[in-house]
Amino acid sequence: MTRHDVPTVVTVHRDASGRDAAGELAPGTFLAPRPLLPAADGLHIALVGTTAGLLAGDDLRIRITVGPGSRLHVVEPAGLVAYDHRGGTSAWRAEVEVAEGGELTWESRPFVVSSGASVTRAMDVTLAPGARMLWRDTLVLGRSGERGGRMRATTRAVHDGRELLVEDLDLTDPDVRELPGILGPHRVVGAVTALGADPGGPPHPSRMDLAGPGAQVRLLDTHAPAVERELTGIWESWRAAYDADRTTATAPGAVP
Amino acid sequence: MGALAPLLFADGRLPVGAYTYSAGLEPAVAAGLTRDRIPALLRARLHTTAVTEAATAVLALRAGGQDPVDYGPVQRALEARTPAAPLRAASTTLGRGVHRLARRLAPDHPAVRALATAQPRPLRPVALGALGAALSVGEEELAYAVVYDELQTLTSAALKLLPGDPLDSVAWILAAEPDAADAVAAALAVRTPDGIPARTAPLTEQWALDHERSERRLFLA
Repeated sequence: MTRHDVPTVVTVHRDASGRDAAGELAPGTFLAPRPLLPAADGLHIALVGTTAGLLAGDDLRIRITVGPGSRLHVVEPAGLVAYDHRGGTSAWRAEVEVAEGGELTWESRPFVVSSGASVTRAMDVTLAPGARMLWRDTLVLGRSGERGGRMRATTRAVHDGRELLVEDLDLTDPDVRELPGILGPHRVVGAVTALGADPGGPPHPSRMDLAGPGAQVRLLDTHAPAVERELTGIWESWRAAYDADRTTATAPGAVP
Repeated sequence: MGALAPLLFADGRLPVGAYTYSAGLEPAVAAGLTRDRIPALLRARLHTTAVTEAATAVLALRAGGQDPVDYGPVQRALEARTPAAPLRAASTTLGRGVHRLARRLAPDHPAVRALATAQPRPLRPVALGALGAALSVGEEELAYAVVYDELQTLTSAALKLLPGDPLDSVAWILAAEPDAADAVAAALAVRTPDGIPARTAPLTEQWALDHERSERRLFLA
């Protein structure tokens, strides 16, 4: 019987010559990690879908480990759709670990929750001191014309042994999520989240500066394209800020 | 402390500065919330922020009974669950009022003394837990007080922001009883700071950010 929960594993470390090298690149049930063209700013990996999903019973798992001082950039060429589960459930779970001075950027594509789907998404991030992560994600409730299925998206980021951001976006019950103050009429929730370092950049009306090092811009809308356009601008601005900061931090004599 | 302390906790006339707080109603009204949607907003809060606050207060109450008293873990847990800086700032301001009252009532109680050393300054649920410990309030009484206060705060603010029959407010609060009971049960079930519920209310956070930039506001948050 085919297993439905084989994790996709990506590990990267800094080798003796100072380059970011892939350790393990193991395909999982749903996603295969494909290295992209070599670049000076770290290892670039695309997570390419290999099996249609998500369907009832699916358990999509991703494990990403970034070694000390190493840089990894993850992109997803296509979004993900959770289809009608016909009474079943599915899960998407990512475990991210970034060691001291390491950096992960993860640019997700929209995660669409069709009517009839019932899916949990868990993002667990552990950052060592000096480690940081930039994450972009968008949840879309329902395909065109649908009210959308059940989704519960949790994020737990621990930095230097302390909780930095804990969120539980419980969108399982449409009657509750559509209440004023939760989502109201919106069905698209997109965010760019910086963890482990202040991303700098210009002010934004939706920017939340965390109590610890990090920030999040979360956008709500009734349609996805406007959210995606705006998130792209924020993503580019924050990535540029991280890069500029990196250049300063790794200058001779500077403490990373 | 007897029967009066739990009543005091739930009394909006307690001089802790709560009149400066609308429990998110003013920003919601600025975003277009109408009077008929107040019960829905109450329900939203009972499913999200009120659970987090009640659970935090209960854990702070327990921490206040330990030796030594350390509010650090519970305070940090609440901060990690409050990404919007204006909401943390409002909670700190309200916490100061509760802290002041606790100092007046039980200055030498270890649960109150530990508030002074909490860094950063104690958020409101942490200060409420400390006051509860000093006054020997029970966990369930405290959790209910936090939840009830949320409902009273919001409906009282409605009298100013969306005026109407004050008798409606009472009916709305009683109608919220099932959700309030669930929020209290969820709060009481929490054992450790990392288990504090973190039900996110994205629009509430956005409205809090908008409110901070607004030049015309009656309430802190």
